[in-house]
Amino acid sequence: MKRPKPERVGVVALRVVRQLKRDRRTIALILFAPVVLMILFGYALSGEMTGVKLGLVDDGGHDQLRNYIASLNDFDILYLGSQSDAEKLISEGRLDGAVVIQPEEVRVLLDSSSLQIAERVMAAVQTGVSREVSIRTDSYPSIITRYIFGYDLEMIDTIGPAILGLVAFFFAFIIAAISFLRERTLGTLEKFMVSPLSRVEIVSGYIMGFSLVAIIQSATTLLIVIYLFGVPMKGSPLDAFAIILLLGAGALALGSFVSNFARSEFQVVQFIPIVIIPQIVLCGVFWPVQSVPGFLRPISNILPLTYASDALRAIMLKGASLYQILPDLIFLGSFFMLMFIAATLMLKREVG
Amino acid sequence: MAVGAGPAVSARGVTKSFGQLRVLDGLDVNIPRGVTYCLLGPNGSGKTTFIRAIVRLLRLDAGELRVLDQPVSRVEEIYSRIGYMTQHKALYPDLTAEENMEFYSGLYGIKGQDREVRIEELLRMVDLSEHRKRLAGALSGGMYQRLSLACTLIHQPELLLLDEPTVGIDPRLRKTFWEYFQSMAEAGKTVIITTHLMDEAERCQMVGYMRAGRMAAQGSPEEILNQAGLGPRLRLWLAQPEDDAILLQSLGFEAEIDGGVVTVTLKSHAQIKDVLAQISPQDIRLSEPRLEEAFLRLSEGA
Repeated sequence: MKRPKPERVGVVALRVVRQLKRDRRTIALILFAPVVLMILFGYALSGEMTGVKLGLVDDGGHDQLRNYIASLNDFDILYLGSQSDAEKLISEGRLDGAVVIQPEEVRVLLDSSSLQIAERVMAAVQTGVSREVSIRTDSYPSIITRYIFGYDLEMIDTIGPAILGLVAFFFAFIIAAISFLRERTLGTLEKFMVSPLSRVEIVSGYIMGFSLVAIIQSATTLLIVIYLFGVPMKGSPLDAFAIILLLGAGALALGSFVSNFARSEFQVVQFIPIVIIPQIVLCGVFWPVQSVPGFLRPISNILPLTYASDALRAIMLKGASLYQILPDLIFLGSFFMLMFIAATLMLKREVG
Repeated sequence: MAVGAGPAVSARGVTKSFGQLRVLDGLDVNIPRGVTYCLLGPNGSGKTTFIRAIVRLLRLDAGELRVLDQPVSRVEEIYSRIGYMTQHKALYPDLTAEENMEFYSGLYGIKGQDREVRIEELLRMVDLSEHRKRLAGALSGGMYQRLSLACTLIHQPELLLLDEPTVGIDPRLRKTFWEYFQSMAEAGKTVIITTHLMDEAERCQMVGYMRAGRMAAQGSPEEILNQAGLGPRLRLWLAQPEDDAILLQSLGFEAEIDGGVVTVTLKSHAQIKDVLAQISPQDIRLSEPRLEEAFLRLSEGA
């Protein structure tokens, strides 16, 4: 093998730099994408939680414990009259957990579908109790933990449903973005433009075609998550399937839309960190939404994966019906419609 | 469908700029129906831009453009009557030749028996019948080009716009193509072709020579030669070339002597007998002017 010549390497390097210099989008992505991602990861992993909705039933006997929990910034406290109220609110998803304080015992009711939050609540109660014990020794309450959904979940159980959504979203997005781009580079898109085919037909046709891929993919991932990882499926698998498909359709439309901003496959790939990773970080699966600082939450609230993973968890872990996750469905439907319209309108810009 | 009365394409003052660059600069042209029309011109003269303007893939800055009696702003309504072949071949390499054609048939709502017949006929015309089951991506460059043309013709368009259609096609097949285009024109259809090849232009019934976004010259090839002042040439071998040259010049012919041979440039073939009435050459050779010369001359004049 011939030794590499520095001059030749230099010539190649110069060419690469020259090409890059003309590709501002790539420069911007190379510079800003890592910064944005590091910030997101950093905040999400910093571990401070706020806005955990905690119910408190105080039947007396442990004022120090109650005051300690109430003093923590992590929780938004809702004072309740009875344990059954707390259980009801948790099962409806309106509370993340509850603490029932009684003279002899402290019952901690937890929503097992987010283990991180459950751990945070437990930690707060234990710290509170040990503080109280250090001051007064007359009554040492026993701590009883109860998961509202009646079983202990492993990490994969809580994350599994969201991973389903993530995989569907990721692949649908990439497939659509790259194939739409290919239409452009092959010249077929231009040919479509000069045919009786309307723009809406082009985009719909695309989404329809890829839905087939999405259906197969969703079905396999669903089976893997249920049978391989043993994630419970308390609700209807068809409901879960419907959510994944709706999310996938949104991702296809988003991919079609985004492909308008890319001139090459190279650039499409660079959209992955921008589009996909914030959803992983902020959707509340790996790190609960409650651990995301307030100013980033609006972003969480507009990401489709946030709603899809919420819906999938509700269906799979709590056995929710489609009616119970209506807000998620509405968001996912709107997201799809919005992206569909955006993709169609962007095609119009071809005529310029 | 009834053939309308107006021209296939008419442009008046058509202007289009990309940034600072004015690609079409007040283009005027009338392309009648039922002809083969060649848009000729050097690279960057605006040929492709004009074709793209006709199908409204770009919006004009100024000027009036009508396509098959429709203002270009409503050309979407008649896309089914237009066939457009881009320089990109617009095929799917991962589909077979036949599947590509079936796909384009579908876009135009051609199906069933009709579809089979047309695909069969077009594949034969482009000499790909034996390759119908092959992936388009596995075809040679020329075959790919031919398949692209076949796909463009699938809906029997009334107006056919072909951007450099014969690049990479061998001469024998090129002849077949031209015969097909001629037969389309005879059937009242209009074929507009861009090229930078002169010999292609000579095959067209009409030629428009574009330079810097304008029509530098247009008409039939003969008319363009006349515009440029080029006619057929007679080379005459004579016993007394000097005397005969002076005689011909005195009669108003354009005659020059070069190494004992007199060359007379005529305005038309009819003048041949006028020349021969005056002199008795030992040998004669007739040469036809080339369009290329005409365009060179017109370019210099412009």
